[in-house]
Amino acid sequence: MGLNLTRRRFFEGAAALGALALVSGCAPKALEEEKEQQSQAQQDEVIDIDALEVKYSWCYMCGSCKTICATKNYVKDGKFAFVEGNPEAGNNWGYGCKTLCAKGNTAMQTVYDPTRIEYPMKRVGEKGEGKFERCTWDEALEGLAARLLENREKYGPWTYAALSPQGGSTVNSVGRRFLNVYGSPNYLHSAICQEQITSSRYITLGTSANPYPVQLTKTKLLVNWGVNGENADVNNTNDRANPVRRFDAMEEGLEFIDIRPMLDPLAAHAAEWVPVRPGTDLALALAILNVLVEEDLYDHEFCETWCNGFDKFADHVKQFPPSWAAPITGISEEQITRISQKIGTVKPMGLMYGNSAGDQSNDGNWLCCCINMIAAITGNLDVPGGGGAGMKMPEALFEVGKIKTLKDRLPVYDEDTENGWAASRSKLVAPEFPRWYQNPDDEALDLWPKEPSSAYNGGLQSILTEKPYPLKSVFAHNTNPLSQTRQPQIIAEALKKLDLFYVMDTHWNPSCNYADYVFPACTRYEASAQIGTRNMEEGTFICIEQQVVEPLGESRSDWQFYCDLAVKMGWEADFWDGDFDGCLREQLEGSGFELEELREKGYVFVERTDGAKASEPEYQNYEKLFKGLPNGKVQLYNELIGGKPNNREDGELTFLPEYVGPPEGLSETPELADEYPLIFTDVHAHRLSVHSYFSSLPYLRERNRKPWVKINPATAKKYGIEDGDWMRIESPHGWIKMVAEYFEGISPEVIMGKRGWWQECEELGEPGYDCFDGGSEVNALYDATVENFDPFHAGMAKQTLVKISKLEGGE
Amino acid sequence: MAEQYGFFVDSTRCIKCYACEVACQQWHGIKADTVHRRTVQEECTGTFPDVKRRFTSLSCMHCESPLCVASCPQGAISKREEDGLVVVDKAKCTGDKTCATACPFDVPEFIELEGGGVVMDKCDGCLSLSREADEMPRCVNTCPTKALHFGKLADMAALAKEKGGSQLEGGTVPSVYVAYDA
Repeated sequence: MGLNLTRRRFFEGAAALGALALVSGCAPKALEEEKEQQSQAQQDEVIDIDALEVKYSWCYMCGSCKTICATKNYVKDGKFAFVEGNPEAGNNWGYGCKTLCAKGNTAMQTVYDPTRIEYPMKRVGEKGEGKFERCTWDEALEGLAARLLENREKYGPWTYAALSPQGGSTVNSVGRRFLNVYGSPNYLHSAICQEQITSSRYITLGTSANPYPVQLTKTKLLVNWGVNGENADVNNTNDRANPVRRFDAMEEGLEFIDIRPMLDPLAAHAAEWVPVRPGTDLALALAILNVLVEEDLYDHEFCETWCNGFDKFADHVKQFPPSWAAPITGISEEQITRISQKIGTVKPMGLMYGNSAGDQSNDGNWLCCCINMIAAITGNLDVPGGGGAGMKMPEALFEVGKIKTLKDRLPVYDEDTENGWAASRSKLVAPEFPRWYQNPDDEALDLWPKEPSSAYNGGLQSILTEKPYPLKSVFAHNTNPLSQTRQPQIIAEALKKLDLFYVMDTHWNPSCNYADYVFPACTRYEASAQIGTRNMEEGTFICIEQQVVEPLGESRSDWQFYCDLAVKMGWEADFWDGDFDGCLREQLEGSGFELEELREKGYVFVERTDGAKASEPEYQNYEKLFKGLPNGKVQLYNELIGGKPNNREDGELTFLPEYVGPPEGLSETPELADEYPLIFTDVHAHRLSVHSYFSSLPYLRERNRKPWVKINPATAKKYGIEDGDWMRIESPHGWIKMVAEYFEGISPEVIMGKRGWWQECEELGEPGYDCFDGGSEVNALYDATVENFDPFHAGMAKQTLVKISKLEGGE
Repeated sequence: MAEQYGFFVDSTRCIKCYACEVACQQWHGIKADTVHRRTVQEECTGTFPDVKRRFTSLSCMHCESPLCVASCPQGAISKREEDGLVVVDKAKCTGDKTCATACPFDVPEFIELEGGGVVMDKCDGCLSLSREADEMPRCVNTCPTKALHFGKLADMAALAKEKGGSQLEGGTVPSVYVAYDA
């Protein structure tokens, strides 16, 4: 489609108010003529947006396979030029919304990133050496399939594992299908996930109750615990307390308490900021429970009727008064008491807790359980404006099916049957959750996960320890294991020793150097492989990503890759005869949409015409909510996990919460603190990156130029470190370099960085930084002792102690 | 002038997410690390733990009495009759930077031209994107928290008043209202 290149609308009527007339004619004649010649080139091109070609999609910028924000993508001169939110998709605040976050506005730069991989590559040097040769897709796929089949025969199907990327719908659907057909339960899940913190809720409140306030405009007090709304949920409609909704509710009188180590932008709007020492959150939660019990701020009727073992629980928490927690958490007794009293008296109250608090500490499970208990004992569950109890949306006008994972293909071993475990759970290399918990047939609880998983870190460490056995074949799909998990140096050793390692990614991530094969992935905008839907009051929306531009080089869709590999494995019958469109047709069965028609249109919004509106739910139906739990009650005294084997099978889980704290902490390991006097941690998510990716994109890197670490000026000055100086940061586990950014919104005893600096940005001339000692990867600093990880959900600490100094010549 | 248009920057809802900045860059084809027509400015005061952060997303103020217009020797800058937006005719601009000296808000920036020289660049209210009078500029469209508003200045004044906000001060009379947390 053509462009309207006139300047008509821009200057029409710019009929100069006085000033123009006043000064016009001042320019010398020759200059005016010269300017006239230049004018075409200098003038801003006026673009008629309505005349551009439009393609629809789901935004790619929160992860390669999410369907959160639907977008309208504009093509100009054959290039993906502009992007905005699709107003009919119900993004962010709802129908009509066109917003996107900073990352969403950067989408085009992922397509045209000069550091992308274009061709399949095979390794010709030693592992880690980085010597590769271009090869054809056929050669790479055939070579890979032959080795996968050989390893299956030689070592058993369980020795193949797939690493999960963030929000890994591809690996968790079609990748699961591949695992199941191969016969392996070893989906290596990060253990840094919503799944961890949600599982803690399930084992405390059951699967239907929730501390999270869903009718936020009726909520009076919100406790924001380790949630990074300004980083992870800027435009995310799935978060019912995302920034826009939170501000709307604040205009109705909502107040919130923000419990996070750093005064992030959302915290700057909080009624109270609680800068807890990283990794000590459970001590704070126990002290809050203590005050609620000791000061009689709990709901007696609810606790007597609906709480399991209230007396044992109450006795237990009496050990943890604010005077105990203050020196651990760095929060004063007075502040702990004040926020506890507020939590106990302001109603309705809801709590939201995020990944940083619950899944990246060694006692994260008990922390999340305790946060759920706070909502329960204060009588805030399933009441309007309290936890849960969301409005009921009218039914969707159509539905789309999920990708079938063929989970019945997993072999059942004698050990599974003898122990009452689900299929192949006996073969999990490093169970993320206890084997007994990974039971999809537990109907009463309807537990998550439905399919088996091992822990990413522990699974990779098995290659070195050979306990219980070494994995032989590992696929890293859109994930960089050297930045994803703790201790990249250990992980690199494991990858060196690993028999078969292959990577598919848009970029040459540092782990590619250890791969046998590297496959080039295209971005979402170069394929048409994902369908998403959203149901709203106004109607139901469906969108398939439309191909916006041709794939770069020989890059292929992540989804099609599995079909292509399956054909070479001889499994075409299980993988839609090698054409992923077959899978899309299967998803659309019964929806009333045909693939070709949907692909042509991009999206369809079916308007609701029956006038149905969201309706009030049933409230306080506790019998129904807690029916799957032991004794049909909230597990203050947890009989669901208590006394059962932990995920390492080297001990039992406890019935009541026990504080562990970080493996290296000011009050936990005071002797270590003499040498390493500061706490180091990192922001879990950041609004200018998706996990460790996107430092290659100019619009994002421009605002995250150097590997930064926030440091209180008082601390920095003690070490002679100026704002902008490179710093050496050393923990007992490794050392990295980062650039000091002065910030008063962080405690003088804590410094806080951001991970993921391995990508270079060519346009800005900014390098990528190494993942090992001397680089800028925060994971090099953290403990990776498997025995220290959370015994229920495998969470790993992201807190340690460090010593710092100014680093000359850091660049 | 028919009626002055302007912005209401509701900083009580701003989280410094940078969406407005990047939307402006992508829609106007501005390369990273060159000029910035809109920036979120931060003021951080106090010492730990009593710290306040204030974020203000600002672009050209489209002033009632713009000194840039009055000062430009080429007459390259003008104030539109129909909406009071201040626009630059880049064909007339010689890059002499007089406007930058005149503007009390440091708004004019300069893009380097191929073959030498510079040309002034600033917010044009998305007129170059064929924005209709009732449509929003791209920064407002993309703002995930509804912190940015654009429209008739009288309407912006009314919105600001509800939030205890006020017009930005200055002899040029900026067409921008701002509100902060109490």
